[in-house]
Amino acid sequence: MDIFHGEPMFGAAQQMMHALAEKEIRPIAEKHDREESMPWDLMKKVRAFGLGQSAMLEARRIAGDDEAEGDKKPSRGARIAVVGVEELAWGCAGIALAIGGSSLAAAPVARIGSEEQKQLFKQALKGEDENGRVKVAAMALSEPQTGSDISSLATTARKDGTHWVLRGHKQWITNGHSASIYVVWAQTDASMGRAGVRGFLIERGTPGLIPGRKETKLGIRASETAQVHFEDCRVHQDMMLGGPGPSEGLGDTKKMLDSTRPAVGAQAVGIARAAFEYLLERVKAGTLRGTPLGGHQHVAFALAEMEMEIQASRLLVHRAAWMADHRMDNVSFASMSKAHAARTAQAVTTRAMALLGEEALEPGHAVEKWYRDAKIYDIFEGTGQIQRRIIAKNLTGLNAI
Amino acid sequence: MDFALDDEQALLVATLRRWSERELRGWAADADRAAEPPAGLWKAAGELGLLVDAVPEAAGGMLEGAYSHLGRALRGYELGRGCAALSALVESNVEPALAVARWGGAAARDSLFSALAGGRIAVFAHDFYEKLTVAPDARGGLLVSGKLGPLPGLGIASHALVAAGESLFLVAVPAGRAASAAPSGWRAAAWGSLVLERFEVGPEMVLAGAAALEVLSWYRASLAARALGVAAAAIEYAAAYAEDRIQFGQPIGRFQSLARMRDASETAIAAARAYVLQAAWEIDRGAASASDTTSRARDLAADVVTRATIDAVQIFGGYGFVNDFPVEKLMRDARAFEVLGGNEALSRVLARTRGGA
Repeated sequence: MDIFHGEPMFGAAQQMMHALAEKEIRPIAEKHDREESMPWDLMKKVRAFGLGQSAMLEARRIAGDDEAEGDKKPSRGARIAVVGVEELAWGCAGIALAIGGSSLAAAPVARIGSEEQKQLFKQALKGEDENGRVKVAAMALSEPQTGSDISSLATTARKDGTHWVLRGHKQWITNGHSASIYVVWAQTDASMGRAGVRGFLIERGTPGLIPGRKETKLGIRASETAQVHFEDCRVHQDMMLGGPGPSEGLGDTKKMLDSTRPAVGAQAVGIARAAFEYLLERVKAGTLRGTPLGGHQHVAFALAEMEMEIQASRLLVHRAAWMADHRMDNVSFASMSKAHAARTAQAVTTRAMALLGEEALEPGHAVEKWYRDAKIYDIFEGTGQIQRRIIAKNLTGLNAI
Repeated sequence: MDFALDDEQALLVATLRRWSERELRGWAADADRAAEPPAGLWKAAGELGLLVDAVPEAAGGMLEGAYSHLGRALRGYELGRGCAALSALVESNVEPALAVARWGGAAARDSLFSALAGGRIAVFAHDFYEKLTVAPDARGGLLVSGKLGPLPGLGIASHALVAAGESLFLVAVPAGRAASAAPSGWRAAAWGSLVLERFEVGPEMVLAGAAALEVLSWYRASLAARALGVAAAAIEYAAAYAEDRIQFGQPIGRFQSLARMRDASETAIAAARAYVLQAAWEIDRGAASASDTTSRARDLAADVVTRATIDAVQIFGGYGFVNDFPVEKLMRDARAFEVLGGNEALSRVLARTRGGA
């Protein structure tokens, strides 16, 4: 398999995740989509696969993200991640996001959290909550008026003695309703702009932290998305990520997005592949007016086009992950991999539905679900437009508007 | 040649635009969540004469003289702007009513028209996917086995006008037998499926000498018009949102990429709408090309609505993905236009025999 050829660890990760996706995820995907429910039982079960909710912290240390500057030994973490999540998303993107949702919050803790904060974060995810469920974490950045333009946050943190007091509303927060611990981004000093935006670790039950209502969504319905409100929520100053002094603040989250984008792209590849494989099976089995479906160019060339786009998307994802593991500047490739894979997932699922025809209208049809799941990949973690701005800026040096 | 609407058409468009924006859009979101049409739909649509406009006046309907498919296309566009699912129900009676009036015997006419006059719904079911076997029986009727649907409206229909192979016939739907779960799109459209096992269609219910292909053209023109209404609604919502939503210091609609996205869909909708109106005009004139034009127009409209609704969700960003805003529903609704009336694979693979299926 292309640039990973000869690395047995990647093949092993892929096989393990594929087996999990096939045996555990696929059979429950339709139910959780229909019920718009989190797969809590499966989330408990997959701890055994090393997919616990704090796995990101462990994985990052194993992968060597915390290694000192100047250590040139390549990591493998980014590549293992993209190989694994493609398989999980092939099973169900919503369930993949439910399993991995806490990693969004874990990433900034791993990157800029103190040792005490890391311990607190891991401790908060240990054991089970009052409902016997796996504990999860939420990363609260987006706001009603702040989607793509993350430098204009309206949530504020005001210093009051040894505490910070947070006020504001967060929107589209993965695990926002159920999280046991939140990483919340707020403006500490509007005069500093982006640099004034800092992250805070806040545990569930803290007065003033109010989990809001869950959203009903087009797709990825097994992953919980909710609003979170902060009404004079007091947080001890030790809970600010990056320490009391000046920090890169939001700059760190931007870097973090660059490192997660290939894995987001990999999920989109997984969705595209799922729909493509489904269609291919149908084409092989089907006939139209007495001749095999695959013998009709209209159908055959559609398959060829899908295969080209999926392979190209995966190569971009792998290239971006490979660059991350080799500590190369992958900003442009990370954006290309995510944007290209998102477009591929939308195109493949859309076309597959069209070619399948009437069966795609059956309630609960897998390809129709994948069509709905695919759309978010062109929106979250930086829209397709944001990715193109980044790619273009890399070419021209200009911010295009 | 004249592109202007006549007075009657202009009144029709203005009336339905108002009704669609006020009523259909008002009902759409809740009906989608409940997966059933609102109780008020039937009374309101009845008062506007939408349900029996294709039923002859002598049989309790409102049709005097020739039916206008051009008028229907104008109306379908307006209804589609309101709600894909509800517009499908409102438009459902036309094919059965016109076909039975033209080719049906007295028994078929009585059976259908008394039901429609009593407020019932009928559907058109074309066996594109060749799931039915139809054999003549000794009495001059038909013996039918196989599955109808899933189809919008069939869940509550009293009659289905079925086109299978060379045959066109009317099936009285057994009460309470057809309702099925709603798919993801057109959720409020009272979906149904019906399994027929050696179902006997009496000779009086067979529409002898009927041109099933002609009925298919009526159906496709209507589908295409409604599809473009859905596309137009999606882009209107997105354009309004893009004017309000500020990111990076300006309304997002001013960014060239989103402005271009909106512009491309508006152009495509306008072009496809002109084509659909031409197709309907050809049907009204009995042109030999009508079936071909209609088939092409439906293919185009299905592409346009898919693209427009996906792009509308993109313009809405995160809000586009959640159910509080109208466009995620439209993206779900877009796809049935491609499948009903012959899906993309069939109609394009068989392009050489376009008009053949």
